[in-house]
Amino acid sequence: MTSSFALALGGLTEVGFWSGVGVLAGIYTLLALGLQINVGFTGILNFGQAGFMAIGAYAMAILVIDFDVPFLLAVLGAIGVAVAFAMVVGMSSLRLRADYFSIATLAAAEAVRMFAQNAQGVTGGNQGLYGFDVAWADASRQIEEWLSAIGVGDANGLLPLLLVVWLVALLAIVALRFLQRSPWGRVLRAIREDEDAARSLGKNALRFRLQSLAIAATLGALSGVFLALNLSFVNPQAFEPQASFIGFAVLILGGLASYGGVAFGALITWTLLEATRFVDLPLSDTQIASLRFVLVGLLLIGLMAFRPQGVFGKRQEMVLGD
Amino acid sequence: MTDASRSMLEVRDVTCSFGGLRAVDGATLTVEEGSITALIGPNGAGKTTLFNVVTGFCPCQRGSVRLSGREIARWAPHRIARLGMVRTFQLTKALSAMPVIDNMLLAAADQPGERLVNVVLRPRAVRAREREAREQARELLAAFRLERHADEYAGTLSGGQRKLLELARALMARPRLLLLDEPLAGVNPSLGRELLRHMQRLRAEDGITFLFIEHDMEAVMNHSDRVVVMAEGRVILSGSPRAVAADERVIDAYLGGKHVPLEEIV
Ligand SMILES: Nc1ncnc2c1ncn2[C@@H]1O[C@H](COP(=O)(O)OP(=O)(O)OP(=O)(O)O)[C@@H](O)[C@H]1O
Ligand SMILES: [Mg+2]
Repeated sequence: MTSSFALALGGLTEVGFWSGVGVLAGIYTLLALGLQINVGFTGILNFGQAGFMAIGAYAMAILVIDFDVPFLLAVLGAIGVAVAFAMVVGMSSLRLRADYFSIATLAAAEAVRMFAQNAQGVTGGNQGLYGFDVAWADASRQIEEWLSAIGVGDANGLLPLLLVVWLVALLAIVALRFLQRSPWGRVLRAIREDEDAARSLGKNALRFRLQSLAIAATLGALSGVFLALNLSFVNPQAFEPQASFIGFAVLILGGLASYGGVAFGALITWTLLEATRFVDLPLSDTQIASLRFVLVGLLLIGLMAFRPQGVFGKRQEMVLGD
Repeated sequence: MTDASRSMLEVRDVTCSFGGLRAVDGATLTVEEGSITALIGPNGAGKTTLFNVVTGFCPCQRGSVRLSGREIARWAPHRIARLGMVRTFQLTKALSAMPVIDNMLLAAADQPGERLVNVVLRPRAVRAREREAREQARELLAAFRLERHADEYAGTLSGGQRKLLELARALMARPRLLLLDEPLAGVNPSLGRELLRHMQRLRAEDGITFLFIEHDMEAVMNHSDRVVVMAEGRVILSGSPRAVAADERVIDAYLGGKHVPLEEIV
């Protein structure tokens, strides 16, 4: 009994495990920061963050592979494509009732994934795309050399990606906090609470919502680029709606209307999701895979019961509920 | 032309319906510049809906709305507000999840920091305007006796204080014409008298024109220069408080047969 339910704690003490968790947490911090500005600060329920992630990954890969665009330019291009797509979705649905926007974003993300699956000539279909990360591999080696020069070893070669993804994530948090404290951020919060009040004071609610969505798309695209670098391939399975929902778990755990909470939520969520791999239960692999989500679900339910504003959220700012 | 320049707001034959119900059904009225005009009428007469149409919140299906001679029917609400016509709501829309001071700063006109480019590229201009607005907000909050609550969440204010906050906030937007939807409802009498005095003072000092919906007949008769009466989506009568209070239709249909005592206007 005890032996079959035991946690193989050995796995949890490995550097490789934690750098893997760290990279995924960094990627999902970026993804969920986009959700935070939409859901937590603008009051629009974006269910399509996985779609912007997919566009970021695919557009970057296609620009590098098919058009020989330098990596960093390709990243900028990918962000541009994601933002343009977000504007099309937003302009067609943000004027309508709030729930139409949610459905439109979910549908748009699925449409992106379907396209990736079926437009084989462009996206490689289910095979996916490879060979876009030559420039990154060089950079990664360079960073590893620097690290070993200062005596930091690297178990599985993930350290450079870990550093870069968290550097970008932290920069994003700082930038978003700065925006949130600005008059622009104030209008966003006003719209979140009462769109009509904001409009009656001369604020063009649609413009602010579109800008918020554009920022979410940018962060989503960036997370997609890092996900692609982490996997060294892109294929449609990486962008199932489940990615958006893990994003929401991260968001709710950390707390609405807190950017720092997003990073915390991402670390907790991915520690849980990855640690359950080491649970030694008499279950099949697919059952274990579902168990991971059951655990995250239970954690969220517990949180809702005892601290509905999330770990770092402010109760006074919970306006979505009422 | 001279006539048009003296009227702040001209509403002609405006219609707005919900399904089969014509909430506003060909309403016509004029608000003179510098006046305090009251809009009265029984429940469901379409007063709030008329406000909604005029300020762009309800689609104006027919008719014309002119602000200082400019046609604004079918404009978006935010553009109308920026043109100087600012409204408050019957159900107060204080932003409870924001501190009182942020409610005020939000409404400040011409804040360059509401554009992302300026937030990044012109931080000094943004800060300068913010300082200016903060000062103005403090003054207004002091005038409305909300100064003590500046840093509290607006959700902690009483109903009456929220009404005051909504009015103070509207003033931050530099209105030329203020539309108030039942400013006295739910406000205790002494706070209500204060609010009416503010209205008189703002008209006298800042030249702000007022159009307010009110059921409190004493306030209407003693604090307005003109009264417009609506019933069933139309304007049935308008004139001086005296004339309106004496009109049989108003006495029968609205005042329940009672005559309202008139005081001198403050
Ligand atoms: N959004 C809406 N949808 C459907 N019907 C509406 C809507 N808004 C108002 N109405 C209807 O339009 C009519 C006029 O309503 P309105 O709120 O304008 O009246 P009012 O004169 O402001 O009344 P009160 O003095 O009670 O505030 C009412 O019959 C109301 O039920
Ligand atoms: Mg009303």
